[in-house]
Amino acid sequence: MSGGLVIGHLRVTYPGPPPVRAVDDLSLSVSAGECLGILGESGSGKSTLGRSVLGLAGEATIEGAIRLDDVDLTTLDEDGWRGVRWRRVAMAMQSASSLNPVLRVGLQLAEPQQVHLDRPRRAADARSVEVLEAVGLGEWALERYPRELSGGQRRLVLLALALVCDPELLVLDEPTSGLDPATRNRVLEVLGHLRGEGRAMVVMSHDADALEMLADRVAILYRGWLAEVGPAQPVLDRPRNPYSWALLNARPTLASVKDLRGIRGDPPNPTEIAPGCPFAGRCTQEIEACHDGRPPLVAPDGEDGERLVACVRGGVVPILVGRGLRKSYPVRGALGRKDRLTAVDGVSLEVLEGEVVGLVGASGAGKSTLASMLVRLLDPDEGTVELEGRDLLAATGADLKAARRRLQLLFQDPFEALSQRLTVAQAVREPLELQGLGDAEDRDRRVRAMLRAARLPADDDFLARHTHELSGGQLQRVALARALVLEPKLLVADEPVSMLDPSEQAKVLQLLKQLQVERGMAMVLVSHDLAAVLRVADRVLVMAGGRVVEEGTGSELLMNPRHPATRALLAAAGRDLLFEIAQSATG
Amino acid sequence: MTGDGRRRAVRFPVIGWVGAAVVAVFTGLALAGPWLSRYRTTQLAGRPLEAPSTAHLLGTNGVGQDLATQFLHGARVSLFVALLAGGGTLLIGAVIGMVAGWAGGAVDAVLMRFVDLVMVIPRVPLLIVIAAYAGPGLVVLSLIIAFTSWPPTARIVRSQVLSLRRRAHIKAAIGFGGTPSQILRRHVLPEVGLILAAGLVGAAARAITFEAGLAFLGLGDPTRASWGGILRDAIGFGGIFYTDAWKWWLVPPVAALSLLLLGVTFIGVGLEQRINPRLARHTGLAKGWRT
Repeated sequence: MSGGLVIGHLRVTYPGPPPVRAVDDLSLSVSAGECLGILGESGSGKSTLGRSVLGLAGEATIEGAIRLDDVDLTTLDEDGWRGVRWRRVAMAMQSASSLNPVLRVGLQLAEPQQVHLDRPRRAADARSVEVLEAVGLGEWALERYPRELSGGQRRLVLLALALVCDPELLVLDEPTSGLDPATRNRVLEVLGHLRGEGRAMVVMSHDADALEMLADRVAILYRGWLAEVGPAQPVLDRPRNPYSWALLNARPTLASVKDLRGIRGDPPNPTEIAPGCPFAGRCTQEIEACHDGRPPLVAPDGEDGERLVACVRGGVVPILVGRGLRKSYPVRGALGRKDRLTAVDGVSLEVLEGEVVGLVGASGAGKSTLASMLVRLLDPDEGTVELEGRDLLAATGADLKAARRRLQLLFQDPFEALSQRLTVAQAVREPLELQGLGDAEDRDRRVRAMLRAARLPADDDFLARHTHELSGGQLQRVALARALVLEPKLLVADEPVSMLDPSEQAKVLQLLKQLQVERGMAMVLVSHDLAAVLRVADRVLVMAGGRVVEEGTGSELLMNPRHPATRALLAAAGRDLLFEIAQSATG
Repeated sequence: MTGDGRRRAVRFPVIGWVGAAVVAVFTGLALAGPWLSRYRTTQLAGRPLEAPSTAHLLGTNGVGQDLATQFLHGARVSLFVALLAGGGTLLIGAVIGMVAGWAGGAVDAVLMRFVDLVMVIPRVPLLIVIAAYAGPGLVVLSLIIAFTSWPPTARIVRSQVLSLRRRAHIKAAIGFGGTPSQILRRHVLPEVGLILAAGLVGAAARAITFEAGLAFLGLGDPTRASWGGILRDAIGFGGIFYTDAWKWWLVPPVAALSLLLLGVTFIGVGLEQRINPRLARHTGLAKGWRT
């Protein structure tokens, strides 16, 4: 076996009206012995890509090159394909309906061997048994009709079918989708064995965990366009393209307690061909330049070039970077001596565009002081804060005013944060007035729209109410509406739900997360309640004594807490109880 | 909760309304003065010591000037002084208090030392000296009262600003990109408005007293009819208590002065109750009105 698959500038368009561009200028290669994972949502063009490689794309027009070793697959006619399909390239379809329901499995496995390899039936059956055993079934399966097999077994038969002619290139379309966890693991195990046999494999899946186990390299596909490609581990663990980041961030793991949220916006309309980056409309870090042509695939800064990322901004960028932040307050020590209390002691943190960073710690850990410094309501003694690459602490006048529009703080106590003299309308309108945005009519429209987005009534009666006439939950929503009316790119929420009752807490947190996703903003969520933060945050920083003592994703902290402060917070959130139950159940 | 009882704050109490009514009556008289009387203040309109009649509602004084005309003019003088001194006090106190509280640091320290300095200036001797040397202009008098009356107001405003700027809604306004002047106007001024009004009332009452006092002492303009001046003339008229003239010459300005001061003080008391009572106790606003 030799060679491999090389795809160059492939475009696949289904005829209209209107025409649909399913694969868009895609270049990829897989060498022999390598497994390439292609990750993408439904509609990303994975299946079209697979079908094009097998010449099964039907009436679609194919432009660009697809070469298997020495053969140009795009120029093959049906006769030419006959020599290539099954023998050199085989595909395991996603749907078991590609098995003929009225023929026994044995016959279906023998047929391609007889047609393509001129193998006699007896030899073919011997090979069939070999392949069935390789995929974890046995000779018994030969005599079964597909309907007599379970869904998982049918999937394994499809896999056996693809392998039966021993192709150089195996294309697997969603090999694990729709399977129960046990069957899925069996299929993955079988695929893992096949990987070692020196064959080129392309696995198309939306199951990132499956790809993590199987693939050597991973390509991430969005709308037929290649967003990122590189070695599996770095791409899946630390995706750099905003789409890959958002996609992988949305995936659940067994230990994740984070509420699931999709990527904001709707999947794109496939009939529209975007002039710029296809992801631009849904991206959280969109800039003007995103609409000028397709971003080229380039190696991101600080990497060896094995990974390529297509993004105008060179990948996911941080929106806020704090470095070495330190703040101390004068306090009266023993015997009236003057002393200084260090509230925040050399904290550095980075918040990516669209990311939710949880900041947890016990009272007095310096969380609120840090939050105030991040939004420049408090100047640090030492350290820097950069917002979108510009020094926030040095900003003055109009620059600072513009920065404030991008950066908002949601206060812990809405009773305090909303002046009692003001009505709801006046309070929510205030930021627009202070920033001098829009005329009276425009402001009123924005205020009402924002209140509705915060799930509050937007009628005249509600707008005329004063803050003391509202419940705590309503009040915090009004405060949230006010903080978001300027459409900030980063919201720092300082204990946003700690004053509310449990039911309101849940509602406001969900609302916060929902608005964060919809508006594509980043968020720093400050709380002492680790359980709540884990549900919302992509990444969690644990603070104790003014320092960040531990950092990780929610599942990392939950499974393997290292610092005592983290353990204490987890214990307070009831983790130990949970794990004891789990242990007593298993042991 | 419904829309009733919009604000928790105490309503302006009855005593305040009584005071406001009294001041309003005097204001009405003062404004309508020129149309109410047929004489000029210095005009010798009748025989000396004429008793009240339809021609001279309050009779005439020792040289035959119409007392009603002088009385109405006196109301104008008192209220003019009250307004100018009160307004000046409010303006200076508000600006210095807000700037000191908001800016903090060195600016605050310097301004507060200046407050201390002004506070120890003995007001009465200063007024007498200035009135004696610089002449008895009403504007000068009012301004001197304003310049010596603002420190308590500035202090209270400053302390309010200091406590306000730590409040979350002010921080939020900073966070929305509000400039200091925007925030002071939108959030601080309404919060300290009543305190400023109380300062204005205090300074007004003081101004009325001083103007009357200086005129009574003879440091006022002898040609200007004011209540203090009428008093001085009446007391200075040798045989006033041997005639009935004191009833129409001496009593009206004394009664008017007392009533107007009472009215102004009632407004002050009303304001004090309207402001957080705790606050009024802290800052000793009530004390400020006496001097």
